[in-house]
Amino acid sequence: MEQTKYLVVGSSHAALEAVTAIRMHDPEGSLTLLTRDPHLPYSPTVLPYVVSGRSAPDGIFLRDEKFFARLGVQFKRGTALKALHPTRNAAELADGSEIAYEKILLATGASPAIPPIPGLDQVAYHVLRTLDDATKLNAAIRSSKQAVVLGAGLVGMHAAENLVKAGAKVTIVEMAKQLTDGYFDAIAAGLIEKAFTDNGATILTGSRVVKLAPSAVGATLTLENGTTLEADLLLVATGVRPNMDYLTDGQVEHDRGILVSDSMQTSVANVWSAGDCAQAKGFFTADKVMNAILPDATEQGRIAGMAMAGDPGLKQYPGGVPLNTYHFFGRHAISVGSSKVPEGGEMVTRFDEASGRYLKAIFSADNRLTGIYGVNEFFDGGVMCQLILRRVDLSAVRERLLANPLAVGRELMSKLWR
Amino acid sequence: MTTAILETPSQTKPAKQKVILCEGNEAAALGVALARPDMVAVYPITPQSSLVEHVAKLIADGRMDADIVDAEGEHSVLSVLQGGALAGARTYTATCGPGLAFMFEPYFRTSGMRLPIVMSIVTRDGITPQSVWGGHQDAMTVREVGWVQVYCETVQEVLDTTIMAFKIAEHHDVMLPVNICLDGNYLSYGTSRVELPNQEDVDAFMGAKDVNWHVALDPLRPMAVDPLTGGSGGKGPATFVRYRKGQCRGMQNSLRVIEEVHAEWAQRFGRSFAPLVEEYRMDGADYAIMTLGSMTGAAKDAIDEAREAGKKVGLIKIKTFSPFPVEALMKALDKVQAVGVVDRSVGFRWNCGPMYQETMGVLYRLGRHVPSMSFIGGLAGADITVGHFHRVIEATEKLLSSPAPIEPVWLNEKD
Amino acid sequence: MGAYNTISFDANKCDGCGDCMTACATAKTGTDDKARSRIQIVGSADDGFELALCRQCGDPKCVTVCPAGALTKDYASGVIDWNGDKCVDCLLCTVGCAYAGIALDEGSGHVAKCDTCDGAPACVPACPHDALTYVTTSRIYNEVGDWEDLFAPGLAGCQGCNTELLMRHTLRRVGPETVLATPPGCVPGMGSVGFNGTTGTKIPVFHPLLTNTAAMLAGIKRQYKRVGREVNALAIAGDGGASDVGFQSLSGAAERNEQILFMVVDNEGYMNTGMQRSSCTPYGAWTSTTPIGVGSGGLPSQGKTQDAKNLPLIMVNHRCEYVATASTAYMEDLYDKLDKAIQASKRGFAYLHVYSPCTTGWRFPTDQNMEVARKAVETNFVMLWEYNRTDGLRFTRPVDDPLPVTEYLRAMGRFRHLSPDQISHIQAKVVENLAFVKQMAQRQSA
Repeated sequence: MEQTKYLVVGSSHAALEAVTAIRMHDPEGSLTLLTRDPHLPYSPTVLPYVVSGRSAPDGIFLRDEKFFARLGVQFKRGTALKALHPTRNAAELADGSEIAYEKILLATGASPAIPPIPGLDQVAYHVLRTLDDATKLNAAIRSSKQAVVLGAGLVGMHAAENLVKAGAKVTIVEMAKQLTDGYFDAIAAGLIEKAFTDNGATILTGSRVVKLAPSAVGATLTLENGTTLEADLLLVATGVRPNMDYLTDGQVEHDRGILVSDSMQTSVANVWSAGDCAQAKGFFTADKVMNAILPDATEQGRIAGMAMAGDPGLKQYPGGVPLNTYHFFGRHAISVGSSKVPEGGEMVTRFDEASGRYLKAIFSADNRLTGIYGVNEFFDGGVMCQLILRRVDLSAVRERLLANPLAVGRELMSKLWR
Repeated sequence: MTTAILETPSQTKPAKQKVILCEGNEAAALGVALARPDMVAVYPITPQSSLVEHVAKLIADGRMDADIVDAEGEHSVLSVLQGGALAGARTYTATCGPGLAFMFEPYFRTSGMRLPIVMSIVTRDGITPQSVWGGHQDAMTVREVGWVQVYCETVQEVLDTTIMAFKIAEHHDVMLPVNICLDGNYLSYGTSRVELPNQEDVDAFMGAKDVNWHVALDPLRPMAVDPLTGGSGGKGPATFVRYRKGQCRGMQNSLRVIEEVHAEWAQRFGRSFAPLVEEYRMDGADYAIMTLGSMTGAAKDAIDEAREAGKKVGLIKIKTFSPFPVEALMKALDKVQAVGVVDRSVGFRWNCGPMYQETMGVLYRLGRHVPSMSFIGGLAGADITVGHFHRVIEATEKLLSSPAPIEPVWLNEKD
Repeated sequence: MGAYNTISFDANKCDGCGDCMTACATAKTGTDDKARSRIQIVGSADDGFELALCRQCGDPKCVTVCPAGALTKDYASGVIDWNGDKCVDCLLCTVGCAYAGIALDEGSGHVAKCDTCDGAPACVPACPHDALTYVTTSRIYNEVGDWEDLFAPGLAGCQGCNTELLMRHTLRRVGPETVLATPPGCVPGMGSVGFNGTTGTKIPVFHPLLTNTAAMLAGIKRQYKRVGREVNALAIAGDGGASDVGFQSLSGAAERNEQILFMVVDNEGYMNTGMQRSSCTPYGAWTSTTPIGVGSGGLPSQGKTQDAKNLPLIMVNHRCEYVATASTAYMEDLYDKLDKAIQASKRGFAYLHVYSPCTTGWRFPTDQNMEVARKAVETNFVMLWEYNRTDGLRFTRPVDDPLPVTEYLRAMGRFRHLSPDQISHIQAKVVENLAFVKQMAQRQSA
């Protein structure tokens, strides 16, 4: 049986950061990177740009074979993890072979969640999670005249914008009452919606598809209110679910994702997990949450790698802070932190309808920042995140910060942690 | 001025040697040139000056291939040579009196580092009362610092011993610096006939040069030279003892090596000199006088006359003073019932001559009482004449029948 | 991986004029829109100015969070490069960076960050107050770091002593084809020649006498020259041995123009043996042989009563191949001079005098060595200059607006007892020394 000291499953941000962190502390130990994807490592986040044609499919790779050779990493791609056998420290692969590991990291990411809509299995539809998905979708949008996007999360919105720009008539169907629910608030969503409708897209929020059926152009969608839509291109972007089907023997505790400690260790010895498949502590709540965002994946991956290698410099995971950026029709939206107003706290907003500049900041009762959102109002998200993580007392500068978050954020950064 | 010339019958001369007339300082310079040192450092001082002038001229004339360093004082002279020796150079200098005193710090160190530097001491009295004239006080003052010291009797011996000194110093069983002591004024300026060995014969005699095999400052063989050694505890004190013991062993080894080198010299060049101790007309002698350096010529004349007058007196000359040739001297002293020792310097502590002081130690080892007395003469350039030696012989003869005086006899006191 | 050059900001010198931002915007966007500058100076609530600028991190978060591979760390230059062809304008990098080092340039719609203008940052020369400097000491680290450290690890110097730094750097620079003389003092005291048969260096090293360093080295160098071998002869000596008892051999070797590099580590006294006075000890300084006491005849004992001997100026008067003063607080200057001294020592006598504060003997906290060394220069208590026969003497770091000498004196305990008169004497001496060296500089370059 093949043996390795470190087995890292997955090849995106969490996995790659873990590899680097392991090698920082242990330059020698055998290390194997295993991924079901046939390609070199890439980020799911870049895929909408492959769809739009902005990114060349061969230009998005985050590492090359030379990188793995230099770090002494055996890179096995195109092979999925089929079953984990933690009692005997073995990983069973899709091809039937097994790898014995000393320590394993499960950074297997997520896959599109397909809603249980009657008839969906009868029609052709796209999803967008892998590079192959993206190249297929890229080919399809060129000939699309009328497209329907199910789901108004960031993936769906990105794809919809691409379809609009490609000349298709696009309808976005979203169950929630607003676009980008969970990322941006109603005012921000309104700004986003306006940008889409100004460019000819149709937004159907609070709508649900109840039935699908094949049609001459492709598919006929029937909404809850009886309306029907014809789609020659259907994209299902209604969210993701963690890839953890390989947890077959019931030992590794999991909930919505794989439950991990503050050093990304699972409930089982020698098994760690990080990234979109992991469920870790949230910064704002003791509960374990899914925080499937890129910056958190890198942070979790690094922590997991350090823990696996026994790096004494490891600092515990502070908890996930939601961080999102969104660029749409030349405009941008940034969200950092929680949208919930804590007890005794306060939410302050500033909105200039003429310029479309919108800022929202949320403070706790003791004047700590807990969330900040901006549309067309650029501020340094990384600086804001530090203000949140460091729980900086902003009593003295609150008003100035709201007036000019960019400059005052930089001032605070320079004084506090430069 | 007494200039003794040792006329040695030629034995097996390998080639005809050039005969020249020169002073002792020039003979020393010629000997140095024949020994082919790499580096010579000089600082002038009377009565050594003409020696280094001759060396400088030999180099300037292309008759000697050496790097000459005109240092700013004797302290640096010897220091430059230490550096040169540590880098593998065969090295030479000469000094005397105040110059020797000034270089005492590196002088002390040369033997500790086992550097085979050769240095002539053109002996000078002093330092105070100020004197620029001959006397052994300078060389005697530094006799306890681990240099091999040999004293020459003649200009020819100066030349020959200067060459031999390099071979003795560089012998792997010795590895110690060597002083060739030649009497200021008497040998330095005394002119006599000298046979000049051929260069190729000297080259053959010297053999390969290998001066820093044991200690070197060379990037090809990096080492720390002379780290702090000693202290209490650890391996320091024992290491220090090993160093010191090694120095003492080298000194003792030199006695054998000096004899071997002199024997080889006699064989190759046909001139033999007593290497450690010379016995002159000691057959059947009841008593003896002891001499050192150039005074020996006049002493031998006096002995010859005394023998002709029927006195049973012989002469013992010391050539190698450091290390003191205890065994050889015991063998000579064993033949007599009394001895008078003539020094050209003063031993302040014992109120006698330094060589006398050393001799008393040897007499003790003989295991029988041999009456002895000390004579001090020739200080600050004074002559010790044949007449003086007759006084020495008479006084020594009295030891056979009368108690030995405690006080030394100061030969030139009433001159 | 080596060290990198960096743009350094001194907030105390910044007046917020914004010229750096204008220069950056002009260089990078062709506009004078300060908002588009990649260096951002922001006013602070308490009247100062703060900086936001890419730090070119060694472990850059912007790179790790970029989904498009558009940001990469160039390990040769240290700069984090942004590739506009790969960037998808997602702004995740701005969320990843905790230092506001990469931000949206609304003028272009893309993120923008400092690229150091390929090693010649436009902002730095634009600053009229020297608040921005482009620190290039990494050049030294990178070059020297690749060379073998020729001293053993763990030399036993006092805590906070910079002589070990000096020794290691010097030897790395001079290289293994060297014979090193370390006369009695701190340099062998910390173990460079070792003890009891061990050695502290990887090159031939020796204890000369305190008195004969230059002479012994001369002999070594001459013999290697004679046999056609290129070997450097290097002394790292103390000020006492060089200026006092060893001065004769030093002067002699300089006069003979022996091919030696003679470095004096001037800690202004016999510090290794218990902090006794040397002729390089400055006026008023406490040492263990110029102690403080009530004195006799009504004259209190107040430290050394004579001024220091200026050994490097004396060496200039030997017309050596090269003479320079240096300070470990100014390593670039020191390195420049070390290079020149090494070259000069291949032709003749090179003398390098390094002012080296002694935390133990001067009585200052062990973390203050560089600060004390810097203050000595900033007050003109010592001056950094170099001399060669062709160009004469010139200041390498002239201090036109020196701090009062009290800034230096009060940094350490050995001057604590000084009376106002003594301080005046020292200040006057600083002025006099400066005038004297300036005069030499003018005369010799004329």
